[in-house]
Amino acid sequence: MAILEVQNLTYTYGSDAIFIKDAVSDVSFSIDEGEIVGIIGHTGSGKSTLVQHLNGLLKPTNGKIFIEDNNIWDNPKEIRKIRSKVGLVFQYPEYQLFEETVFSDIAFGPKNMGLQGEELEKRVIETCEIIGVKQEYLQKSPFDLSGGEKRRVAIAGVMAMRPKIIVFDEPTAGLDPKGRQDIMEIIYNYRKATNATVIIISHSMEDMAILADKLLVMNMGSLVMFDTTENVFKNGDKLREMGLNVPIVTRIFDVLKQKGLNVPDDVFTVERAVEVLKKLKDGERNA
Amino acid sequence: MDNIIEVRNAVYEYVDEDVVKRAVDNVSFSIERGSFTVILGHNGSGKSTLAKLLNGLLKPTDGDIFVDGINTKDEETEIEVKRKVGMVFQNPDNQLVASVVEEDVAFGPENLGLHPSVIRKRVDDALNSVGMYEYRESTPHRLSGGQKQRIAIAGIIAMEPSCLILDEPTAMLDPKGRKEIVSTLRKLNKEKGITVVLITHYMEEAEKADRVMVMNDGVIIDDNTPKEIFKKVEVLKSVGLSVPQTTELLYALKQNGFNISTDVLSVEETANAIAYCLEEE
Repeated sequence: MAILEVQNLTYTYGSDAIFIKDAVSDVSFSIDEGEIVGIIGHTGSGKSTLVQHLNGLLKPTNGKIFIEDNNIWDNPKEIRKIRSKVGLVFQYPEYQLFEETVFSDIAFGPKNMGLQGEELEKRVIETCEIIGVKQEYLQKSPFDLSGGEKRRVAIAGVMAMRPKIIVFDEPTAGLDPKGRQDIMEIIYNYRKATNATVIIISHSMEDMAILADKLLVMNMGSLVMFDTTENVFKNGDKLREMGLNVPIVTRIFDVLKQKGLNVPDDVFTVERAVEVLKKLKDGERNA
Repeated sequence: MDNIIEVRNAVYEYVDEDVVKRAVDNVSFSIERGSFTVILGHNGSGKSTLAKLLNGLLKPTDGDIFVDGINTKDEETEIEVKRKVGMVFQNPDNQLVASVVEEDVAFGPENLGLHPSVIRKRVDDALNSVGMYEYRESTPHRLSGGQKQRIAIAGIIAMEPSCLILDEPTAMLDPKGRKEIVSTLRKLNKEKGITVVLITHYMEEAEKADRVMVMNDGVIIDDNTPKEIFKKVEVLKSVGLSVPQTTELLYALKQNGFNISTDVLSVEETANAIAYCLEEE
């Protein structure tokens, strides 16, 4: 069942006639409950503008957004309520930490939703367990943590509201490989614990190959592809035209194919590559 | 050998919550003039502190660092060290000062008190060398991250340093911006002979370096050619780094009983190695 439906969304910025520009142009798609959807597209393709519509931060110039079949702009005064349903984790969310302790920072969102006392405490602790923030950190100042830890706390603050849809705008930007892997695991664990729908903007095709069920491809403000990760990555040429690419293993397999090797065209992860090559090797031995 | 930088038993300590911590722990090495060196390490490994030691922004708690024979501790020659070793940081937005690209690039040379015609020439040359000359009259904030970072590099180049140190210059950029920076650095190194020390956690950027140093817990744990470094998949993973997916695949194949060479890096080479290995079977 679709939890999110976007119909003919257009967002135009600039008021002077000469500077008017569509950042997002006539975009329609729907996402089912529990899906993990990756949004890819080069810088300036409209990805961030698109996701800022999903929790009502931006109001569409044209078009509609439905969350659980309700048009989010039916009652503009109630738009804030949508933010507990759709959590948005910005780029570099650690810049938004502001409370005195880690606990208060994580508790800020759920508190605004009306949680108090034991219930609030339980919510914060549960969230910390999901994302691996240690209990002894709760009374520390968030500003004493390392960069990677700060980012986790900031993400926990959004997750603590238990949004049904959680949107991440480049959650791993600026992190080292270990930090990137940690964040991907947190997202995976949160989704497993809550069955939330996850939307994630990323530049890493390798990460998307492992994590995403579907990929939504943006180019110059338009949606150009929305399909299973497998089907999108089968369109390497089309992606390259837009300045994007397929995962590195897939590029290796493209070269193998050109060399005349009989390999399938659905190899997007190292795991699958090893499986395919093992079969090929054993097959040749038997032949 | 002609070394531009000599690091001898450098230690850097700081106090955090009354505890003395060592960010750089007795490190010694030298950087050859005209070389391209990559320093890899995860966040908190001490690589940024090391970078700041190399151009005298920080002074070692113990040990010595020499730039062109000058000790960075020597206060009288402090400015000279900073002129010889230019530094570029992670966030381009924090490094741009003017509202017009060429004025931003001119900021450094103007402070050197040079003649306007010399400044003009230096700014034009610097912008050309990073491929941003046609944007000289643009506003920096309207440019992409990669373009802004190239302007920041041009600003340093215009000071004509012999060595360029870059502390994760690509961490905040998208893949396209990252490529722009790495190819700009390669060009500056090859064509202008500028010594480059690139600090990063992206292994792909180390692929074509002359030399790769790996840092962990304030210590240099490995120092070799990229090919030799990338062979050590387990070591790199154990210090929080990852290898490019090409190496990861070859390594996984080897573990699965393939008799395959793992010392190749590019997509092309990896495919060749796999094809060759399958033929041999």
